[in-house]
Amino acid sequence: MSGPRPERVIDLLEAAALVRDGSTVGLSGFSYQNPPMALVREILRRRVTKLTIVSGPTSGIETDLLIGAGAVRRVITAGVAFERVAGIAPAFRRAAERGEIDVWECDESIWHLALKAAAWDMPYLLWRGGVGSSLPELNRDLREVEEKGKRYLRIPPVRPDVVFVHAAEADVYGNVRMPREAYLGRCFSERALALACRGPVVASVERIVSNDEVRRDPARTILRGALVVEAPWGAHPGGTSGRYLPDLEHYRDYAAAGEARLKGAPAAYQRYLERHVYGLEKHGDYLRTIGAAHLETLRLNAAMS
Amino acid sequence: MSANLRVLPSPGDLTRLLACVVARELKDGEIVAFGLHAELMLAAALLAQKLHAPGLAIRHGLRVESGAEIGPAAWTEARESRAHELVEYLEPHDAILDVAGTASPMRFCDVFFIGGLQIDREGSTNLIGIKGKDGRMKVRGPGSIGTTSIATLARHVMLFSTDHTTRRFVETVDYVSVPGWKRRAAVGLTGGPSLCVTPLAVFDFEDGAMRLRSVHAHATVEEVCRRTGFTLALADEVPVTPPPSAAERAALSVVDPFGRLDRLAIAVDGGPA
Repeated sequence: MSGPRPERVIDLLEAAALVRDGSTVGLSGFSYQNPPMALVREILRRRVTKLTIVSGPTSGIETDLLIGAGAVRRVITAGVAFERVAGIAPAFRRAAERGEIDVWECDESIWHLALKAAAWDMPYLLWRGGVGSSLPELNRDLREVEEKGKRYLRIPPVRPDVVFVHAAEADVYGNVRMPREAYLGRCFSERALALACRGPVVASVERIVSNDEVRRDPARTILRGALVVEAPWGAHPGGTSGRYLPDLEHYRDYAAAGEARLKGAPAAYQRYLERHVYGLEKHGDYLRTIGAAHLETLRLNAAMS
Repeated sequence: MSANLRVLPSPGDLTRLLACVVARELKDGEIVAFGLHAELMLAAALLAQKLHAPGLAIRHGLRVESGAEIGPAAWTEARESRAHELVEYLEPHDAILDVAGTASPMRFCDVFFIGGLQIDREGSTNLIGIKGKDGRMKVRGPGSIGTTSIATLARHVMLFSTDHTTRRFVETVDYVSVPGWKRRAAVGLTGGPSLCVTPLAVFDFEDGAMRLRSVHAHATVEEVCRRTGFTLALADEVPVTPPPSAAERAALSVVDPFGRLDRLAIAVDGGPA
């Protein structure tokens, strides 16, 4: 006899416990938008190390913070930057220049293809982009080959063990959806990462909505079968598409601390980690540290949500 | 005119000039694409749409927009953005892979703009890093982001820099994010970037090498050569970049009602030499 449809809601601690030392962790988001920061901070509190981060296609603070805290061994991304706040993310820059992390050099297209190769269980895909660039010299996984008189790069599969995304809404069954008015596109890398993943996909969301609501507008559902964590303001200091803006003031403070550390003055960065991650027990403490009034200044107009 | 007597344009006058330079290159029926925070390129595309290319399609990030004005461009700053009202079509990010099918009406783009930490004589760009004297990477760059594959496979690539210094314009890039003319030819790819626009001048390419096409009114040929880290091909007579026409000025005021082009970060004098 069949029981009720299983619900897929977990909490942040359970989600973070899916990551172990050496895990390959996929993180969705694009630039300032939709980084799964509440999950990232929870992962850091577990003091895991030697992670491989598959983030992007172009990553931001979620990746930089994990690197800055010393949790990362290798990063698979097309870039780590904060748009106009910092052309090069400071912890990424510092760790790469000191040889503390390996960078799987690629561009956004090659990043997507590596995930598609995993999703389709292909030994490699061939691609014309990157031929004639330095990418195959810097990334030994990308081999230049000739096929029918044309040169290609061989792009191998990249398979995350677990994937974390942040989104506006989901229902309890794991249907994850974008808001009606998406910021940049229909979605970023959520589908690409989820389809390549060989383990669980976790979506932190601003709020859990009913399955009825999801069925009223199925075109907005971008993932199914995810584990769902309700974490309001869970992308902060990043923005959540259609819900709130990125906190650029916070980004500037973070970048300044990171750049000071790059120049040999680590105190401000250590204070950042203590104040926003290690000195706190849970996501609610983080929101109190930032302050409800400040968060409200970031909320998008009602017409967009 | 001696350098210390010349009158520099305001940042807004310079960015409007550059928007006109780029707009004049965009053709009707093309699809033009650019990334985030690219108000100047958006202005150029909207200007071209208004003046000579009504069928130009604008792919802004992953949205195909029916353009109106550049006000809504900065999603990360605009609380009351109505940008979504312009959007005709939304894609997931892996639509960037659909750049190689050059005949499909749904192809990602024809025209793409890129910059670099370094740009070299043949138009190769580098966002990966800068080498130290020992030949190892000394300064880690952000990474190649979306540039490599799109710029390799798109029909038409233009280069852009917000300053003009010998650090930016080098003989040979330390690492190649996007190959220029000779590197492309060496691996069997045809073509190369068509144009490079800086705060001082406009360049095209002849025999796979950058050539000074025009200098802006506030710059001199000597200054441009001095600020370029390789020997530039020069025409006998280098013209001044044609200033915005009356029609271009009128269209720009419609395209940029909030004066966003006045607030872009650009080194009017080319930046620290």
